[in-house]
Amino acid sequence: MERDDGSGLSELAAAVVRTRAARLVDVFLERRAEVCWRLEEGRVGSREGLLREGAAVRRDSTLVSGDGLDRPVLARLLGITTRALPQFSGPAFPDPPRLEEVLPSPPAGWASVHWSWRWAAVLADRRAVVLVRPDLAEVTHADGHRALTAWPPSPDTEPDGTAPEQHANARVGKARVLLAPAAAAVLLHELIGHPLEGDLLLRGASPWTGMQGERLMRLPLSVSDDPTRTELPGAFSDDDEGEPARPRVLLSDGVLVGALADRESAAALGVPTGNARRASVHARPRPRMSNLVARAADPLPHPPRHEAAIEVATLTSGTLEPASGSILLHVRTAFALRRGERHRTLAPFTLVGSLAAVCSGLLAAAEPTLPAAEPGWCAKDGEIVPTGAVAPWLLLSGLEVR
Amino acid sequence: MRADTDPLLPALHSASEELARSGVRFEVFARLGEHAHLVLDQDGGLERRESHELGVACRVSASGRAGFAAAAGGGARAGRQAALAAFDAMLPSPDPLPPREVLGTSGSALAHPPTEPAQQEAFAHALASALQDASSGVTLVQVRLLGGTSSAALATGEGFLARAAAGGAVVELLLAPPAGPWRHLHFAAPALADLEPEALARRAIEAALLATRGGAPDRQLADVLLAPAVAAPLLVALAQHLARETKDDGALAHARVSRSWNLVDERPGPAGLLPLPWDGEGLPARRIVLVAGGHLRERLATWERAQRTGEQPGGAVRPSYRHPPLPGPANLVVFSETALPQPDLLALLESGFYLALPAGAVRVDLASGRFALRAAAVAVRHGKPAATHPLVDLRGSFRRLLGALAATGGDAESFSLASAVTTPSLLFRRLEIA
Repeated sequence: MERDDGSGLSELAAAVVRTRAARLVDVFLERRAEVCWRLEEGRVGSREGLLREGAAVRRDSTLVSGDGLDRPVLARLLGITTRALPQFSGPAFPDPPRLEEVLPSPPAGWASVHWSWRWAAVLADRRAVVLVRPDLAEVTHADGHRALTAWPPSPDTEPDGTAPEQHANARVGKARVLLAPAAAAVLLHELIGHPLEGDLLLRGASPWTGMQGERLMRLPLSVSDDPTRTELPGAFSDDDEGEPARPRVLLSDGVLVGALADRESAAALGVPTGNARRASVHARPRPRMSNLVARAADPLPHPPRHEAAIEVATLTSGTLEPASGSILLHVRTAFALRRGERHRTLAPFTLVGSLAAVCSGLLAAAEPTLPAAEPGWCAKDGEIVPTGAVAPWLLLSGLEVR
Repeated sequence: MRADTDPLLPALHSASEELARSGVRFEVFARLGEHAHLVLDQDGGLERRESHELGVACRVSASGRAGFAAAAGGGARAGRQAALAAFDAMLPSPDPLPPREVLGTSGSALAHPPTEPAQQEAFAHALASALQDASSGVTLVQVRLLGGTSSAALATGEGFLARAAAGGAVVELLLAPPAGPWRHLHFAAPALADLEPEALARRAIEAALLATRGGAPDRQLADVLLAPAVAAPLLVALAQHLARETKDDGALAHARVSRSWNLVDERPGPAGLLPLPWDGEGLPARRIVLVAGGHLRERLATWERAQRTGEQPGGAVRPSYRHPPLPGPANLVVFSETALPQPDLLALLESGFYLALPAGAVRVDLASGRFALRAAAVAVRHGKPAATHPLVDLRGSFRRLLGALAATGGDAESFSLASAVTTPSLLFRRLEIA
């Protein structure tokens, strides 16, 4: 067993194998502790606590899962008697942090702060692998915008320092835009991350199917999925099938070179595994992003505001529509630029462009390259996992304001 | 009810015992959801998932302090954990718990028994077979079936105990038309037996082929006719927005409201997909009229908010045991005063857009009270189809939406979204399309 802590999980893994449960793939155990502080004008108005634990058993194409984590629950899921299993335990739920110690004065624009601690183990092939993942901090702003970081929360989760209020409308039509790291992270998440998930590649739902080795863009941008960046919220020591975490290069100087895979898609695509993630014990492991880290080979030293008409600070979401070959960025916070200066703030709008236009329209990357609290929680088919991002500023033409 | 046969009772009892010892006012809520998911891929690959989601939640109140916590599992340990965590969560707060005398149940229909896995698999194959009509050019990407039942129990320290059960079935289809975006279709019913595979396949193919080619229309204010599938998520977003306490409250209070609205949270049934006997705090389910007669009527409220604002309580929901009671819709129904057939609605539309199928979730900006959704659309000129648009954006403010409803259809359908919703086609005047 790796990273055994005397919990009895090794003995449990061995006992699971002895049960000879037909076509057993793996057993997943998870415990989570969460606290949500609801804030009113910078003060804690109420606090909610949640203790979650559960188990899932995967056999061939079937996953059975249940809440609760003890021998009767596991025996029921395995279809055996409780006596066939040894005693085991996960770690005790930790005491939650005290928000007032971590953050004495939460910003007035915050609606809530959420802390979560997660522990999990995968039992397979007589092995028990304990998964180590960082505690998470989620901040919800008054307008519903959510920002996710590793714990503790930072007062700087709002990149431009202000929540949007009443603004002018952006002019409809083509525009050259400058994406701040938080917005660039969402673009790369949709443009590079999701389309290189193995299940989408196999289903034909990715525009990059069959394009490995091809150049996507002239900009020498490199993008990796890196679960070993433990300071970011998508980090893990091993994936949710028990495979060790490794950085995976997806885009190298603008050329597609990798994919994200769980065991099933890895076998079909001929790529390494190690990217399986589960939204909860009730969800099947699927290829998902962890922390998407982007770097440009020769970035500009400063954001080129004088070359753009609009600066986009944050997005509410982004969407890639593979069949229509278009990408949509729903802008939350943006500024009209004049002579390289922020001229006025803009009301929320949508940027739309074809994949080809976005790839060819990526003109420049600029420092500083920064961690971003967006997109944070990543939803796929209704299953939500935490992700992190590091991105530079990106100058982009070919998008249309709608 | 015996604790050794009822999965909800051990946690309910242990939490109640733990809390009763301390002398606080308390409420314990336990819920079991049993779900069977089946996914059938285009290559015949079948995935099955069976989940058993069980947990217990406690709310406590004493000496001007209150707390909420929940724990997963159905055993006595889960009940004790939830009770102790609720004590830990106590902060200065008004008492959020309703008094015993307002609690009760309205009674409602029993849930259908869950669908057997073999029946579910047979349904999926029958649906896939019915969709394989080569002449249509539509390719099936995925069939997803979800069947489930839930049972819940709520007990208070003042001796109230109530039970509830519910169930339903959802069918989702991912289809690839010969051109344009893949289409996602959603059908819901009280039980899988209420849905007929060949009828669903016919409707799904027709919807998927409706708008496969064309560009986006120019940004404009236009009259729009929303099919039930497009109207449903927008109604849920509207009802959730109306339930919130936001900066938009003042604007909404003075909004012009169309007399065509008759939007009701039909909690006790029988209309709607998901009637339940009590709300998320144990108040008897009642019919809550949200918008009617040209006015905003009631706002969904928890007991705590009702005490603070003078509103009527009974509007609480609990999406799961993990959440405290929140104000929100449960079983939305749009009643049609004059249920117009589709040709009459199109004639009323005259020129505008028919939005047939949603393409993604409704996006809402809480601060401004604005929404946006994408859909497949057909441009209508002089009552006739003039052009197709695979994806259009419909945008606006909820304030404007309230004033813009012009007519309702007679083609009501039910959907299982963040809440249950039953709606016919809705015709709105002058909303923003792009």
